[in-house]
Amino acid sequence: MDSEDDMHDANDVDSYEEDYYSGDAMYSDDDDDAGYEFLDNASDDSDDVSVSRQQKNYTILKEDDIRQRQEDDITRISSVLSISRDSACMLLRRFNWNVSNVHEAWFANEDAVRKAVGMLDTTNIKPPKAGELPCGICFESYTLDSVSTAACGHPFCNTCWAAYISTSINDGPGCLTLRCPIPSCGAAVGVDMVNMLTSDEDKKKYRRYLLRSYIEDNRKTKWCPAPGCDCAIEFDLGSGSYDVTCYCSYSFCWNCTEEAHRPVDCETVSKWIMKNSAESENMNWILANSKPCPKCKRPIEKNQGCMHMTCNPPCKYEFCWLCLGQWSDHGERTGGFYACNRYESAKQEGAYDESERRREMAKNSLERYTHYYERWATNQSSRQKALADLLQMQTVHLAKLSERQCQPETQLKFILEAWLQIVECRRVLKWTYAYGYYLPEQEVAKRQFFEYLQGEAEAGLERLHQCAEKELHTHIDGNASQEEFNNFRTKLAGLTTVTRNYFENLVRALENGLSDVDSHGASSKTSTSKHAAGTSKSKSGKGKGPTKGGGSTRTDDLTGWSCDQCTYMNPKNATSCQICHTSR
Amino acid sequence: MQASRARLFKEYKEVQREKVADPDIQLVCDDSNIFKWTALIKGPSETPYEGGVFQLAFSVPEQYPLQPPQVRFLTKIFHPNVHFKTGEICLDILKNAWSPAWTLQSVCRAIIALMAHPEPDSPLNCDSGNLLRSGDVRGFQSMAKMYTRLAAMPKKG
Repeated sequence: MDSEDDMHDANDVDSYEEDYYSGDAMYSDDDDDAGYEFLDNASDDSDDVSVSRQQKNYTILKEDDIRQRQEDDITRISSVLSISRDSACMLLRRFNWNVSNVHEAWFANEDAVRKAVGMLDTTNIKPPKAGELPCGICFESYTLDSVSTAACGHPFCNTCWAAYISTSINDGPGCLTLRCPIPSCGAAVGVDMVNMLTSDEDKKKYRRYLLRSYIEDNRKTKWCPAPGCDCAIEFDLGSGSYDVTCYCSYSFCWNCTEEAHRPVDCETVSKWIMKNSAESENMNWILANSKPCPKCKRPIEKNQGCMHMTCNPPCKYEFCWLCLGQWSDHGERTGGFYACNRYESAKQEGAYDESERRREMAKNSLERYTHYYERWATNQSSRQKALADLLQMQTVHLAKLSERQCQPETQLKFILEAWLQIVECRRVLKWTYAYGYYLPEQEVAKRQFFEYLQGEAEAGLERLHQCAEKELHTHIDGNASQEEFNNFRTKLAGLTTVTRNYFENLVRALENGLSDVDSHGASSKTSTSKHAAGTSKSKSGKGKGPTKGGGSTRTDDLTGWSCDQCTYMNPKNATSCQICHTSR
Repeated sequence: MQASRARLFKEYKEVQREKVADPDIQLVCDDSNIFKWTALIKGPSETPYEGGVFQLAFSVPEQYPLQPPQVRFLTKIFHPNVHFKTGEICLDILKNAWSPAWTLQSVCRAIIALMAHPEPDSPLNCDSGNLLRSGDVRGFQSMAKMYTRLAAMPKKG
């Protein structure tokens, strides 16, 4: 019985993976990278899926890996150039830890390199004679054993050395290029002296700076920006997508170190983030919704009431909201207290037009921005919620479901994948709003197409979310049968695939700047645009993305079937796709 | 605390011994506080400061010599790297290029060197810096000389 069960499991998992990853050659090659430890099997398993789905053009380095690499580089340089490890370390740091640059510079002009780094030629320096030596800092005399020197031979007592090095370490990473205290000397003070002379705490800080320098000064490595994460990412420069995912499961753009933001490019992201934080939006709001008090110039928002304004104390200036003139000038002859003829006539003459128009424009642009920002932020928070749900699923629900359905947790992986997909989709969807904000207004066809794609994406995601959240709970809490659960499995796995395909195509289309649209550009009539969008989308889908199990998975479920070509969810009874007319 | 006091005391004794050695610098320790010093320095020759005597005030921190002393001109001076009102000095060795091997005496020497070789590209006194940067050496020199006469020379009669 047991073995039969196992057999079944194995088959099931296999076929299931095949469905998902057929055509995705990258899937199996990097599960067992050296040094890859699972902290928590369940969670890492699922992260692994999202990592391995991409081509791996980067390496994640843990602190130990970094130290190991640094040590290896130092060893290499010190043995090739026959210099001490201490000098090799200073040399590497000077050349941003680029081994080949060190070689190049060294063999081109050894003297210049030595001088720049502070590696003195020690042959001419006499060792200090026996007897007492004066310390160059505290000016006291010491016996030889309590005095130390760098390569230059300038003597300082060990206490002053410790204080000197410690001061420099506490000043920051500049301590890595510390020199002999004698201003004209320039002999380097390296890690050996630090280890010999300073406290454990200072040594630790120095080691930390050295480690940081290895990552931060190197052109090919960057720290993972997630709070509390100690990993670094080494990236193969010039190799496609910048999106990387750390072991801590944080995804970010290696180029700009903002969170992962495909399909939007780094420039747009930085503009958008700047905009979100910028005072300029506040200014726009103030401009659109307030007028400055004519006397004290403080901005005043009129939220209700009549045109008779009284500024706050101490100003207390009374004025007319419409013409900004003094209120005491107003009366029956200017059209009563509740209207202002001066304003009306001036408006007719055009005197108020410009400032009014500016206010109007600012108000419109603010509303437009708010529209996109709200949706961007909502998807952001939905994503956070989905991440929390995913965690909840991993830690609580999965075990419960496993008990109830008598299925091992490995077989329930499809639920986690669904949730991971939801998280990823929320991320993409979020950035499509930044994309939409910067899509030029005048490109009507593109805008319509974009909005259509976005709408479909949202609807698809909602379906998946609904299924993964509501329907799942009937299986966790309710008494659904085994068969119903199997149906649910098919449905959820299918929805996950369909949604993944859709979003991947969406990302690709947006990254191409919706280049397909131009050929359809003319068809901007609303009645036909839906259709045009449909075919165009299916084209982009087919042109670039029949790879990921596109043909093999067709989802049938209780409500309908999803089109292979455009992923549209058709009603069950439709024989051809209602969007792109591909027959079923 | 103790280290800085001991070191300053060494410098004090050194100054007493070498009083004659450098006639351009006269360093004096405050009678009641070893962390406060004043110095009289002679304007270097062949500069508009020649003939003037300038007073400097030193305020030495407790972390001395690991941290640099604070120095400012008490005598008014027209120089690109000295603040005209406060006498603050913009000199790298008094900021990030400080080394504990410097002494108060060597700081004075560095300031004299700065008087002879102004750095108009990082000015604290913009008017003075602009004169030099625009190439108006004569204008700069006459201004500097005038202030030397007004502030750094004994009043006659």
